[in-house]
Amino acid sequence: MKAGPLRGKRILVAKPGLDGHDIGAKVIAIALRDAGAEVIYTGLRKTPESIAKIAIEEDVDAVGLSILSGSHRELVRDTIRCLADLHGHNVPLFVGGTIPVEDRPELLSLGVRRIFTSEMKLSDVVDSIVAALR
Amino acid sequence: MVKPRLNRRELSARLSLAANARVCDSLTAAYVDSDDSYRIGITGPPGAGKSTLIGRLASTRLLRSDGDLALVVIDPTSAVSGGAVLGDRIRMEAVAGDPRVFIRSLASRSNLDGLAENLSDVLLVFESDGFKEIIVETVGVGQVEYAVRNLVDTMVLVLMPGVGDQVQAMKGGILEKADIYAIHKADLPGTTQLIAALNSVLKQKAPVAGSWAPMIVPTSVDNDESVDQLNAAIEKHRMWTKSSRTMSMVRARRRAYHVGSLVARRVSEVLDELSPEALTLPPAALYEMVILRLRANLPK
Repeated sequence: MKAGPLRGKRILVAKPGLDGHDIGAKVIAIALRDAGAEVIYTGLRKTPESIAKIAIEEDVDAVGLSILSGSHRELVRDTIRCLADLHGHNVPLFVGGTIPVEDRPELLSLGVRRIFTSEMKLSDVVDSIVAALR
Repeated sequence: MVKPRLNRRELSARLSLAANARVCDSLTAAYVDSDDSYRIGITGPPGAGKSTLIGRLASTRLLRSDGDLALVVIDPTSAVSGGAVLGDRIRMEAVAGDPRVFIRSLASRSNLDGLAENLSDVLLVFESDGFKEIIVETVGVGQVEYAVRNLVDTMVLVLMPGVGDQVQAMKGGILEKADIYAIHKADLPGTTQLIAALNSVLKQKAPVAGSWAPMIVPTSVDNDESVDQLNAAIEKHRMWTKSSRTMSMVRARRRAYHVGSLVARRVSEVLDELSPEALTLPPAALYEMVILRLRANLPK
């Protein structure tokens, strides 16, 4: 078996909020699996509280939030707070979806490690996650 | 003396340590068996509805207990990348948010008998933190992957209608092993035929005095009463195990499986490390070489 670059990593791919489109999240989940990661997928419409609980129970190395609803600022802030409530302050957070350029500095300043958009090549997204978790 | 419980993050880290342990680490970890925990194994073919049924069953059991409940759910590792998508918990939404519930997803990794590497140790970590009940979901299995039998007290095989004639073919394998048969999606056509076929297979076994007579329970997620009936069957079996098995019998069986799975894993590690030249040796010489390497000290 060829060892993928994410071998041994556990990554949560989560869909917070009310948007009902998870093709992107599933494509990312499969790409991360193919890079060797064990990917936990939450399914649609999760609250920040439940995402934090899952991240802690699954002892993940990173959390990826897929957000297409436009509520990314609130959802990211809440998820970070909920993670901290459960002693998960240092879990790396990635965000993907429709994130306007002007909102990105704020998310990064909250502690988001990387922001991915649909224009990016899938292999670049995976490479970026590999580099961030190295 | 009551040991203080770990917080969830600490427990989670402890579970990872157990799940990721190498053979030598697992042998020295010395987890202690718990005397009063109860383990339910849910197994069955892919798509039978195991995860959904577990979600419903867990709700029912939580209503009747005041303790914590651990769910250990296993999905297959990709043989190509070594990665996995673990999605069982999506179907357990009703209980996932409950503070008394702790769900851990595991990838099967090198395990090929329907379970996950180091599952023995993972279960003991939960129990040593005070969990009195654990439900284990195996990967979707075929006819012979019934290793879960060794690690749980009650084994439920989930089948669904439309596989009636396969039941005959299965009779030598997993079908002999379950305590309870849940005929899930029992609102679909073919349920009566499946129950009849299953009954005829189970009746071929002559009953032994004092042994458990397997139960068949039709279930459907739209029918709360059917989930209650499954739970009643599980409770009945739990009471039966209490009166018919001693803890030392249970421990012996768990220990045999634990050590057997470590040996099997070590064998596959040794085989992976062999050079291409070694693989040209005749079988007897290669066998001898593998045995010699197994006897050498474990890599530290």
